[in-house]
Amino acid sequence: MDFNYTEEQQMLRDSVGKYLEKNYDFDARQKIVRSHAPWSPDVWQQFAEMGLLALPFSQERGGLGGSVTDCVAFAELFGRHLVTEPFTHSVMLAGAALAAADGTDAQAWLHKLIAGEAVIAFAYEEGHGTPSLDLVTMTAQKSGECYAVFGEKRLVVAGGDAQALVVVARMGEGGAPALFLVEAGAEGIQTRAYPTIDGRSTANIRFDGVRAVLLTGADQQLDRILANAIIVQCAEAVGAMGALVTLTSEYAMTRKQFGMPIAGFQAVAHRLADMKIAYGKARATLIYTTALAESGASGPRDIAILKGQTGKLGRAIGEAAIQTHGGVGMTDELSVSHYHKHLLACDAMFGDHSYHFRKVGQG
Amino acid sequence: MNIDFAPELEAFRREVADFFASAPTPAIREAGRKTTSVFAPFKECMEWHRILYDQGWVAPHWPKDYGGTGWSVEQRFIFAEEYRKADLPPLLPQSLGMVGPLLIDLGTQAQKDLYLPRILSGQDFWAQGYSEPNSGSDLASLSCRADADGDDYIINGSKIWTTYAHHANRMFMLVRTSNEGKKQQGITFLLLDRMDYPGMVVRPIVGLDGFPEQCEVFFDNVRVPQSGRVGAENDGWSVAKHLLKHERGGSGGASPALTRYCERARAAAAQTPSPFGGMLADDPVFQRDVGELEADIASLGHFEKLAISGHEVAQDPAFPSMNKTINSELIQRASTLMMQVSGVDSLARQLEALRVGSNVEPLGSEFDLVAMPLYLNSRATTIYAGSNEVQRDLIARSMASSGAGA
Ligand SMILES: Cc1cc2nc3c(=O)[nH]c(=O)nc-3n(C[C@H](O)[C@H](O)[C@H](O)COP(=O)(O)OP(=O)(O)OC[C@H]3O[C@@H](n4cnc5c(N)ncnc54)[C@H](O)[C@@H]3O)c2cc1C
Repeated sequence: MDFNYTEEQQMLRDSVGKYLEKNYDFDARQKIVRSHAPWSPDVWQQFAEMGLLALPFSQERGGLGGSVTDCVAFAELFGRHLVTEPFTHSVMLAGAALAAADGTDAQAWLHKLIAGEAVIAFAYEEGHGTPSLDLVTMTAQKSGECYAVFGEKRLVVAGGDAQALVVVARMGEGGAPALFLVEAGAEGIQTRAYPTIDGRSTANIRFDGVRAVLLTGADQQLDRILANAIIVQCAEAVGAMGALVTLTSEYAMTRKQFGMPIAGFQAVAHRLADMKIAYGKARATLIYTTALAESGASGPRDIAILKGQTGKLGRAIGEAAIQTHGGVGMTDELSVSHYHKHLLACDAMFGDHSYHFRKVGQG
Repeated sequence: MNIDFAPELEAFRREVADFFASAPTPAIREAGRKTTSVFAPFKECMEWHRILYDQGWVAPHWPKDYGGTGWSVEQRFIFAEEYRKADLPPLLPQSLGMVGPLLIDLGTQAQKDLYLPRILSGQDFWAQGYSEPNSGSDLASLSCRADADGDDYIINGSKIWTTYAHHANRMFMLVRTSNEGKKQQGITFLLLDRMDYPGMVVRPIVGLDGFPEQCEVFFDNVRVPQSGRVGAENDGWSVAKHLLKHERGGSGGASPALTRYCERARAAAAQTPSPFGGMLADDPVFQRDVGELEADIASLGHFEKLAISGHEVAQDPAFPSMNKTINSELIQRASTLMMQVSGVDSLARQLEALRVGSNVEPLGSEFDLVAMPLYLNSRATTIYAGSNEVQRDLIARSMASSGAGA
């Protein structure tokens, strides 16, 4: 057993880390969030050039044949820098669905995604955390060569800006879930784009009989695709948690009240210790679950444990970080609250911790 | 022991409820529903203040001679309950709850004559200028200086986290007038009769929920009259301690507002499908969670009622800290529950739709609109008015000094 990143993974981490340190500090990140653009096209292009957008796909699909561990290795850094570019949703979800499908349309779009020429959104969520595929209600009907999809998706990350969408819908009411490719400009789409509390660009999208191409074969892999994306999203959350633990202990060591650093007060010291313990648990669970997934041995219970723990511990760390910072923790000016909001979003998406703990409990 | 359920009280409840049903304008109602902080939207909140003033109900907790209502404990609670049921914006605490009662107790006749009527009528709004960048929990270390010069003081330094200073036309503040002796001894309590003195700059600070609520206030050789002093020079710490009594004892307690949050969470849960089938409101796990929270809120309500009725719980020196600790943590728990019920639908950043009078339609329900900002904003409740760590220290210290735990 070896739970360390390989030398190659470490090198990838180093180069992504260096890039982000130089180009994506908190001020640069806030500039992107406040600009009218949904994210930075320059940064996205850099990700393409570094090969990150190609990493998870097999070589025959034009990718680099990377593993989920490779993605986790740098996703932690994405979390540390609060990267708002839609990597998880566009690459790990939409891209992976295209890669899993047969057909030339899918491959053409995947090719554009890998090159950084197109962003593709993954339209899955239907409100209230759609934690399981069973809850998807959108439907598709056969229409000539193609299909027509009906229904509404919510919180589609990059949904207002993507050139194409991968949509999860049932084959007729009560049918099995399948995946479809929809072009963004297609007739019958109604999009309302909006930002999230953690600075991402999302949209609610209504589909009123929109022309859709079936992504044949992708449905077979949907569980695995979702599991991998959840792992990568959890890696981002764990990266954010680590940053908060560091920031907060540094702050507590330098902030003085009553003539001494607040870290010297036992109530504060114990809270810092609890934050470290929480981070230790979350990171160990992330690393172990990633290794399981890479070996093909992870099951739904493992993913539920990871998602539940990351959500719960992430919120606890964020709340503790704000409390320890006092008034400044409540401002938009410091990064602390932005990390916390990112952790809240990670918890809510794909089912919050309470849902996943119940799944674990149900066995 | 006895609880008074006199029939007059039901008539009183109806009178209050009828008034709340008819008096507020639509904008005031909207402001109430969109309140995501202990500090309601300023403009509509002050409009409502003036309507309550005209009705004679603006300060139920003030002595009757000064414009209070003279209500019984039960009436005050009924008033608070009906107030929350109607989702009306809570009145701002700084004037009515802090500086007003302080002036009644310790102000000069001239200060009372000038300020109290204007506080009641809502002509004035006061900001509280205590905290400084380097003096938060350790407030007594404050360094914003006031040097006596003829009949004036010259103020230099800054204040921070001054809530609604950008809306205020007056401010009460603590300044350092001496560096001799203990740090508590060189502090003076000052009333500033305006916010636009030459050399005074107010900078709003945007909060984590996206709204400017607190401010930084800078003083560069600001000359103010000494007649604004409350108490003696260098005795401001005891004045501030006196004010604290009022700061921590609201009129009807916090439990009616908390109960209302639970009602809103239940109503939203009745419209929200549970991932385990049926509606969330019927889900046993949700019911357990909301039940535990409501039980805790009920206990807080009982605690508050005992205290208002003059029961000995309120004489306990630890009472204010216990009350603050309990209610701040319950606000956080209640808003967390609301956020969880709203789920991913709480993740949209909807600053424009939250503005009173906005014509932007919210993405989900009104509940979804407020759940997240309320959760985020309520992270402050365990920080302000003496952080909960400091409160627990005070509780423990009072136990140690009284020698008896309970
Ligand atoms: C929303 C909001 C509104 C506010 N409104 C006003 C206002 O209108 N006017 C005004 O004057 N101020 C206001 N404040 C300021 C508030 O009173 C201070 O934030 C508070 O006193 C804490 O000070 P600080 O922020 O400097 O944190 P610090 O004192 O630096 O505390 C940071 C952390 O250290 C902990 N800590 C500090 N000392 C100890 C100790 N001895 N033992 C254990 N733990 C300790 C604290 O509990 C906290 O967790 C407001 C604050 C907020 C958040």
